Amino acid sequence: MGSVKRKSLGEAKEDCDAPPLKQQRENVSVGMMDEPVACLHDVSYPEGYVPRASGPGLINQEHSKPAKEFPFTLDPFQLEAIKCLDSGESVMVSAHTSAGKTVVALYAIAMSLRNKQRVIYTSPIKALSNQKYREFKEEFSDVGLMTGDVTIDPNASCLVMTTEIWRSMQYKGSEITREVAWIIFDEVHYMRDRERGVVWEESIVMAPKNSRFVFLSATVPNAKEFADWVAKVLVTCFTILVHQQPCHIVYTDYRPTPLQHYVFPSGGDGLYLVVDEKGKFREDSFQKALNALVPTNDDKRKENGKWQKGLILGKAGEDSDIFKMVKMIILRQYDPVICFSFSKRECEFLAMQMAKMDLNNDDEKVNIETIFWSAMDMLSDDDKKLPQVSNMLPLLKRGIGVHHSGLLPILKEVIEILFQEGFIKCLFATETFSIGLNMPAKTVVFTNVRKFDGDKFRWLSSGEYIQMSGRAGRRGIDERGICILMVDEKLEPSTAKLMLKGSADPLNSAFHLSYNTLLNQIRAEDGDPENLLRNSFFQFQADRSIPDLEEQAKVLEEERDSIIIEEEDTLENYYSLLQQYKDLKKDVRDLVFSPKYCLPFLQPGRLVSIQCTKNDESSSSFSIKDEVTWGVIINFERVKAVSEDDANKKPEDASYTVDVLTRCRVHKDEIAKKTIRILPLKEPGEPAVITIPISQIDNLSSIRLVIPKDLLPLEARENTLKKVSEVLTRFAKEGMPLLDPEDDMKVQSSSYRKAARRIEALENLFEKHEIAKSPLVDQKLKVLHKKKELTAKIKSIKKTLRSSSILAFKDELKARKRVLRRLGYITSDDVVELKGKVACEISSADELTLTELMFNGVLKDIKVEEMVSLLSCFVWQEKLQEAQKPRDELELLFTQLQDTARKVAKVQLECKVQIDVENFVNSFRPDVMEAVYAWARGSKFYEIMEMTPVFEGSLIRAIRRLEEVLQQLIEAAKSIGETDLEAKFEDAVNKIKRDIVFAASLYL
Amino acid sequence: MRGLQLSLNKGQKLRLDRALERLESLSSKANSDASVTVADNISVDYEDAILKGHGTAEMDGRVVATLCGVVERVNKLVYVRTLRARYKPEVGDIIVGRVIEVAPKRWRLEINFSQDAVLMLSSMNLPDGIQRRRTAVDELNMRSIFEENDVICAEVRGFQHDGCLHLQARSQKYGKLKRGQLLTISPYLVKKRKQHFHYLDQYGIDLILGCNGFVWVGEHVEVKDDMVEDLSNKSEQQNVKSWNMMGDEEVEEIYTPPETRQNICRTANAIRVLSTLGFMITVEVVMEVVNLSISLDLDIHEMLGAEFYVIVAEKEAERRSMSTKRR
Repeated sequence: MGSVKRKSLGEAKEDCDAPPLKQQRENVSVGMMDEPVACLHDVSYPEGYVPRASGPGLINQEHSKPAKEFPFTLDPFQLEAIKCLDSGESVMVSAHTSAGKTVVALYAIAMSLRNKQRVIYTSPIKALSNQKYREFKEEFSDVGLMTGDVTIDPNASCLVMTTEIWRSMQYKGSEITREVAWIIFDEVHYMRDRERGVVWEESIVMAPKNSRFVFLSATVPNAKEFADWVAKVLVTCFTILVHQQPCHIVYTDYRPTPLQHYVFPSGGDGLYLVVDEKGKFREDSFQKALNALVPTNDDKRKENGKWQKGLILGKAGEDSDIFKMVKMIILRQYDPVICFSFSKRECEFLAMQMAKMDLNNDDEKVNIETIFWSAMDMLSDDDKKLPQVSNMLPLLKRGIGVHHSGLLPILKEVIEILFQEGFIKCLFATETFSIGLNMPAKTVVFTNVRKFDGDKFRWLSSGEYIQMSGRAGRRGIDERGICILMVDEKLEPSTAKLMLKGSADPLNSAFHLSYNTLLNQIRAEDGDPENLLRNSFFQFQADRSIPDLEEQAKVLEEERDSIIIEEEDTLENYYSLLQQYKDLKKDVRDLVFSPKYCLPFLQPGRLVSIQCTKNDESSSSFSIKDEVTWGVIINFERVKAVSEDDANKKPEDASYTVDVLTRCRVHKDEIAKKTIRILPLKEPGEPAVITIPISQIDNLSSIRLVIPKDLLPLEARENTLKKVSEVLTRFAKEGMPLLDPEDDMKVQSSSYRKAARRIEALENLFEKHEIAKSPLVDQKLKVLHKKKELTAKIKSIKKTLRSSSILAFKDELKARKRVLRRLGYITSDDVVELKGKVACEISSADELTLTELMFNGVLKDIKVEEMVSLLSCFVWQEKLQEAQKPRDELELLFTQLQDTARKVAKVQLECKVQIDVENFVNSFRPDVMEAVYAWARGSKFYEIMEMTPVFEGSLIRAIRRLEEVLQQLIEAAKSIGETDLEAKFEDAVNKIKRDIVFAASLYL
Repeated sequence: MRGLQLSLNKGQKLRLDRALERLESLSSKANSDASVTVADNISVDYEDAILKGHGTAEMDGRVVATLCGVVERVNKLVYVRTLRARYKPEVGDIIVGRVIEVAPKRWRLEINFSQDAVLMLSSMNLPDGIQRRRTAVDELNMRSIFEENDVICAEVRGFQHDGCLHLQARSQKYGKLKRGQLLTISPYLVKKRKQHFHYLDQYGIDLILGCNGFVWVGEHVEVKDDMVEDLSNKSEQQNVKSWNMMGDEEVEEIYTPPETRQNICRTANAIRVLSTLGFMITVEVVMEVVNLSISLDLDIHEMLGAEFYVIVAEKEAERRSMSTKRR
């Protein structure tokens, strides 16, 4: 394998010499392809790259021995990645969670330590940093940790930190930036995180120019794109060719333990193998599973209107699905099992349903109790009595655990430890458990296939599925991992296939500009916010699509120009008339058939003319007449939308569907999806009742038929349709009597009358139009229509082209700078002013609002406790429905905060930053003000927990973040020389930093 | 401007006085009330919460100034901006300083601040460009990087926990300054700008306006990176010209051409004139004065003659009155 790679590198060198300004690519697949262990190795070279004989650590050469040897044989992908490290080149490793990426990180650390270089390991989550610190500390002794909460041995050669800390170190020019040779970014796919992803981009763009990277990521399909960016950005960052380094990609889909995917239909009582360990999707067994879905649940959900709670509302106790499921898992010895659900409350609720289950023997119980209490030992006696603590132990003793972000951090850690030791057989967890440290189980259960993502419920994405199912199967213990999907509603096989077998989510940039970044960039002498934007992954992705779009536009233009039509002008005139006519018709129809007018006439039996389903979209008809057919109304029904606001809507505004009996052709394709096409009555087809939206109704006739009560038999339907045909022939001559909008339906609206008159006028015009008589008019119109469509397409492509070729975010950058100038943070020639320097320091809260608040003296006058309480609004993000209002003094402060926030938001709006003022103001939540106030006054934790209905863990996180903000404020106060305020902030830190909230992590 | 000591003849004195008077009349009067000396009261609205910034203190319930200068207000914050005091460092400032001591792992620098600044060995890039921890050997070789009396340029990193002012050198463009002149002027004359490094390519010189009032005028040095050099030594086909030239030069004794030397002196004199007259110094103003001296066909030493001072003052007065009129 080694020789293969070396050789290919040599080839690349020759290629490079000839066209030096082209990106070189090569593909080397390593290993025998039929083996599942194979990995893909690829290299991105920067432009004009010249391969070197050796890497940056020239020291490497002397070492023929690997920096670290492992007691087990390495997988090909690990070997491949380590080879890159040995040659001193950056590498991106993209593999499943369980595949063993840590090996690569360990090797990089060992190598750096050997070479007396510094190495930094960053992870997205504090808890993960703690765990990794422990892991590395056991392996190598020279390890330090820096998170917002703790700093241990910051002078060590290997530093574990959160990415945010690393970013701010780079801005502050910490000496570490000059000593670090390798930077390991773990879970780099976090870059797509909407809020925090930008931190990764900043860190990579600003990274010290001579250091090398190790990126560890979950499987991402566009790893190559990412590596291309890394290779590119490190060259262009600095004006001269400094940073030349290739970036290797090692990608593998390999799972050490293969997975089997099962479906568990709710209400049913069995598992159905859907995807076997070879990755084959079993259609038949999937269908069987769906058929086993017990339909009664459906009705129940409808009644409650909240189908997502179906699982919860199901029968509690022994009958519940989850109980049955866990029981089955234990019986079949599929334990330990992780049950993923998507809300903290649901997690706890499900765990409570397990009340009757005991999975541990007495020995284990004793052990659990010992571990539990020795961990809880660091808590004060009062804190040990917290309900969350005391309720957890009985559950744990029975081998059942809960893990979500609402838990006390210390409990979370105990549970993790117990789980790793095998004392917990069944763990109910949220998605967060799927990230980070290797904590696999034999089985993973998805208690739901839908997830609430902030604004709506959606199917799990395949990426999320891959991440979570990655926890199934313990390497070396289980032969295969088991994934069970609990399905409680009809799920299209295609959706399921996509979810179970789809590819991982791509790594897309979530870049955005914050004022803090902007100020920090402006403040540094060689910082340039535009440079940051130009080098962002976002820009890279945008630029990349340009050639593609250009090509598309060109092809379309050629196609358009090849279409030549005679008499185009007159035709076009006719065409536009036709368009107008259609639009008017539609307007009239929308008006007349708005529920307000037409509902009283949608009685069963009324004959109705409806639009036929068009044969295919391109051949839309160009005659004045639409193709219509007739049918009989059976019923109409209000559409129930998913959102609950609908209930408040007036009946007039809601949308309705109408059931109509008419002739259709029912067509089934392979994926069992029925497509129904409405046909004219005379054509062959079966009579069927279909549901259509009101907008598809063309006209209502004044005739009603008597319809048989039971339409289930085919003859009944056939007969009814025959009657319809009879009526139609009877009125063939004079036309069907229709309901007159004005006289019958009482549509009284001037717009209707106006439109009706215009339609008449247009109809006259059509008759006079000469081209209408031409025999080929239809065909010609079709061609013209196509041409028009092409033009529109070209236009939209060009528009995207234009917007992506200019610097992304350029307008936003301008607007944001305007805001900073207007508020006096920077001068007109981009020099950071006093206020700007304060805002530079604040990165954990909204920098503008907090700075304004400070400069308006709000923080100066109030008591320390009140100040802490006010600052809690900056860090609390959850919305509480039933939160109590804070007392008057606090309420008053909060209003001041809101005023300031509103002012800031308005200035932003005036400067053309896109912002919703009220949304912004409401993003500051007063919900925990009281609790934090009490905490600052010295209350016990259980006392403040009684004051708010929030989760313990959430509150602790908020208070810890608050402390972070206070530390930043201390720096800010220093920079303006306000010593009183500085002392006040320090006092505040002392007041809140105590007890359980700042209890040290068990991993330390 | 006060204490201006020039041997002027009568006519020149008259013209200079007129120009200065004109300048005085043009400067805004608003600030003159706000100037304070030590222990002066600063009027504030005591009802309101005010923030007392630098140069202020509370005494017997009054806010008083602890420095001479001008009172500045930002929202509720009151602070005193000093005029002709020592330099007060702020994070991110570009400064020029002189090494006064080589201490363990650090250099001490005189930067016109009330205390010496510290540049740690680890706060600057190693000459070999490799990212690694500093060793004892590096420490022993510190004098090969900077030794006493070297003039260097760096960025203010901030006050560390020990209360020392720390500096840093982020990239290769910071570091030792050679072949040029160091001028010391009042720090308040250096206007804070986005850029403090200037390359005047028509004269082939570098001008660094240190925020601490130390100004460097020297021969232009191409910023090069050791990695490139390192790279190119190994692969011959590298075709970046600039460093190739540099590489050759380093072998022989470096020689600064006389024209460049003259340009350096001319620019330095221009700064001297401006600082004596008490005008703000920016690269544009300096260039104007240099060009003026060339257009008047003055020799370098003649720039320090009284006549040139008067001309510069008059020009400045004219320029300012023009710009105020335009406004």
